[in-house]
Amino acid sequence: MTVHAIIRLWTPPLLLSCAIASAQAQTRGYVISSFLTATHSVNFEESCPENRNGGGAEWMVRDLIGIGINPAQARRIAEGVGDDDGEIRRRLNQRAIVNGQPASIYNYPDAAPDPNIETVTGKFAYGFDLGGPEQNKFTDPETGEPVDNQLWRAIGCTASFRAIPPATPFPEDVSWNAMVETSPGWAITISGENLPADGPVTIVLDRLTKHPERDAEGNVMSNATYVLDSAGTSRNVLEGEMKNGLITIRPKDIYLESEMPFYPEIALRNGHMRIRLMEDGTLLSYWGGYMKWQTFAFMITSRPGHGGDSIGIYHAVKKMADASPDDAGQNQEISSAWRITAVPAYIATPEGQIVAQAVLPQPATMAAANASADQGGAQ
Amino acid sequence: MRRARFLIAQAVTGAALACMTLPVHAQEGQMPLSQRLSASQYRQSIADIFGPFITVSGRFDPEYREEGLLAVGSRSATMTPSGIERYSEIAAGIAAQVVSPANRGTLISCQPATANAADDACARQFLGEAGRLLYRHALPADELETKVALARQVSEFHSDFYAGVAVILADMLISPNFLYRHKVLEPDPDTAGSQRLDAHSKATVLSFFLWNSAPDDLLLKAAESGEIHTRRGFRQQVDRMLDSPNVEAGVRAFFADMLGFSEFETLAKDPQLYPRFTPKVITQAQEQTLRTIVDLLLVRQGDYRDLITTPRTFLTRSLGAVYDVPVIDLADNGQPEHWVVHEYPQNDPRVGILSHVSFVALHSPSGRSSPTDRGKALREYLLCQAVPSPPADVSFAVVQETESVVHRTVRERLIAHATDAACSGCHKITDPIGLAMENFDTSGGFRTHENGAQIDTTGDLNGKTFDGPAGLAQAVRNDPALPACAVQKAFAYAAGWMPPRTSGQLRVLAEGFQKNRFNFIELLREIALSEALYSVPAPTGAMTAAR
Repeated sequence: MTVHAIIRLWTPPLLLSCAIASAQAQTRGYVISSFLTATHSVNFEESCPENRNGGGAEWMVRDLIGIGINPAQARRIAEGVGDDDGEIRRRLNQRAIVNGQPASIYNYPDAAPDPNIETVTGKFAYGFDLGGPEQNKFTDPETGEPVDNQLWRAIGCTASFRAIPPATPFPEDVSWNAMVETSPGWAITISGENLPADGPVTIVLDRLTKHPERDAEGNVMSNATYVLDSAGTSRNVLEGEMKNGLITIRPKDIYLESEMPFYPEIALRNGHMRIRLMEDGTLLSYWGGYMKWQTFAFMITSRPGHGGDSIGIYHAVKKMADASPDDAGQNQEISSAWRITAVPAYIATPEGQIVAQAVLPQPATMAAANASADQGGAQ
Repeated sequence: MRRARFLIAQAVTGAALACMTLPVHAQEGQMPLSQRLSASQYRQSIADIFGPFITVSGRFDPEYREEGLLAVGSRSATMTPSGIERYSEIAAGIAAQVVSPANRGTLISCQPATANAADDACARQFLGEAGRLLYRHALPADELETKVALARQVSEFHSDFYAGVAVILADMLISPNFLYRHKVLEPDPDTAGSQRLDAHSKATVLSFFLWNSAPDDLLLKAAESGEIHTRRGFRQQVDRMLDSPNVEAGVRAFFADMLGFSEFETLAKDPQLYPRFTPKVITQAQEQTLRTIVDLLLVRQGDYRDLITTPRTFLTRSLGAVYDVPVIDLADNGQPEHWVVHEYPQNDPRVGILSHVSFVALHSPSGRSSPTDRGKALREYLLCQAVPSPPADVSFAVVQETESVVHRTVRERLIAHATDAACSGCHKITDPIGLAMENFDTSGGFRTHENGAQIDTTGDLNGKTFDGPAGLAQAVRNDPALPACAVQKAFAYAAGWMPPRTSGQLRVLAEGFQKNRFNFIELLREIALSEALYSVPAPTGAMTAAR
């Protein structure tokens, strides 16, 4: 599928949403319902032609061979046979040498050998042009624009992050599902004079006092009411522009505090964003920006059980970091892109004033939209 | 020790057998002589006797609705063998909590000489006190002594005083004297040759009616002294009980029964179509309506008819999401949802309890609304008007085709369905009122369109036309059948039998209700004081024997 074809497919609902929603000055509220790496795995063979990283069993066999286990025994151990007392696994985990002593490779990943995992060499990745070097550029599969997304280059060939939406990367999915009902959520409010018509809009990101509510299907519930966190440390006011149902922003640093173990914070320097108003009332958004490579790398090594090669990812992310070099020349930041969904929500201030309305399309509007789409009315 | 085991087995088996053989069935048209405690009456009694901190965990035998009320069905509720097992488990759990080291100091009014031996005096005191409250009358001396003897043997067997009283307490909790409310008759000294309820039966009827619970110490004292049979003494007790906060439990229990909330146990909605209808919503929907009722009728002493039109209600965040209403809850993260007062603006169609999830969702199938079910429920539950069941061979195919491109709204589908003469007769009395509630989808969410077509919410109630749920609510509020039905159901709930609509006593109560500006608490007072509630059928000799 060509880039143009993909863009064309993307466009009809965008136009449709403009056509069907009532135009009025308002502030619409949303609560973020997922925050995930912007994976692009549809052309995995092109992105990762060697396909040599394999899954959890393959990298374990490689590591076992690396510590002197013969291949046949390594395969058996990877299948859970032949290491009843766990001694070999312990040796595997204690490969780091710190002060002459064996230590956990997950606590001291720099002291563990770099397995040099395969990284993405294909053309496409989601994201934004953050001003990075030309030789690193991907092409965004939706916009066709050049993209800086070295994080995807580092992790995009690993099994853990091979996920085509709505499938989600395993480590993030586990973390999100485990914590979404305890960690306070994040709000997005969109204000405009004539939503959703073209024109300037203001987007505010903020932290909430309550965790997202789940609905009967286990998804984040729409139309619930949330109260903004009075602390204000996560408040981000962004200036944007709505065009054909798509919002883009003037780049700005973004910071959101969290209580998720996988994402203890969302901190993006030179944050970019595009937000699409979907016809079912939800938001589909891509965010991009530079994040500290260590933030991501240590989230990975703190979860060795996620089914991916944590040490391989650690070294790949470190090597692919592409901004803010330290005195030794090691870049401290890595370009990244994220896929965010959000559902309509009422947003209130801590003082109890509603500042954003939940806007779900009426079933009639949905039905009309569907009928129109069926008849080619959105072309 | 063998003897102790035998006695325990004998006691438990005896109680169980007694349960299985009850109740004594009333003849058709007669007052019931026994009614099984409902689950809520059981729980409320335990909470009132031992404290709300006692957990009653377990499943109760199903209840049966007769003539629109579980309270009427309770007169024919029996117990299954498996039900007795479950009641036994519940009883053992309660007894264990009562005698636990944490609670025995407050729930057992005496201390044994030593905890690891029997103590007849303390056992007699505790079992006598608890038995009086559980059985709703003092235990006869010989029965109490039997229980004390049994407790002694169990205590000695286990070298534990509390083990003995726990076994006997559990035994009392599965006794028909606790699980069933009996009406015991005695000769009426004021009218030769007539009978009346004895004092304890009268106290029990009164207490379960007003408090949904067993009589308290003061009411039992009034029964024991005979004061309850005096006009002044009886009036004092009724007034005291209606002034008590416990009356809220009684009001809640009545309306939960009248509005058919037991049907929530099997209520489900298609989660793909109605994802905001969560299990939490099912629980909270009942509470929303009960809070609204308590607020209007009890706290504000308002007009009963305003339940149908009041814009004031109580919501949680979860319910707010269903209704698409913002509900600001400032509780900390992770805390249970708070209830927030919500008042719909003037002219909002979502007024009164007919707009609640507890009505529009309860009386709709899983994946679509049903004007017929809603209309039928409104007539039967709130207006006491019977609607015949559909013929056995009727086809609902047209009605169920919710994605029809020909009949896009349920009104169009019902018109097509009702062309069958066998169906049209009944639909005429249900659909014109049910269709006015079509702004509410089957989950209770508000809508203006169905399948892309504007919903027509015009309708009529007994010739009075209206448009939309608010218009329907106003018509129902002004219908004289609404308060008349409340009188009939409240009396039936209290008595355990449905009086004929034409009964003179009902007419008097209805007139009083109107005179008191449809004040529901005054209606409860009038029913509680009415002689009809404690009247007895023609003498049969049944249950006349002295305790």
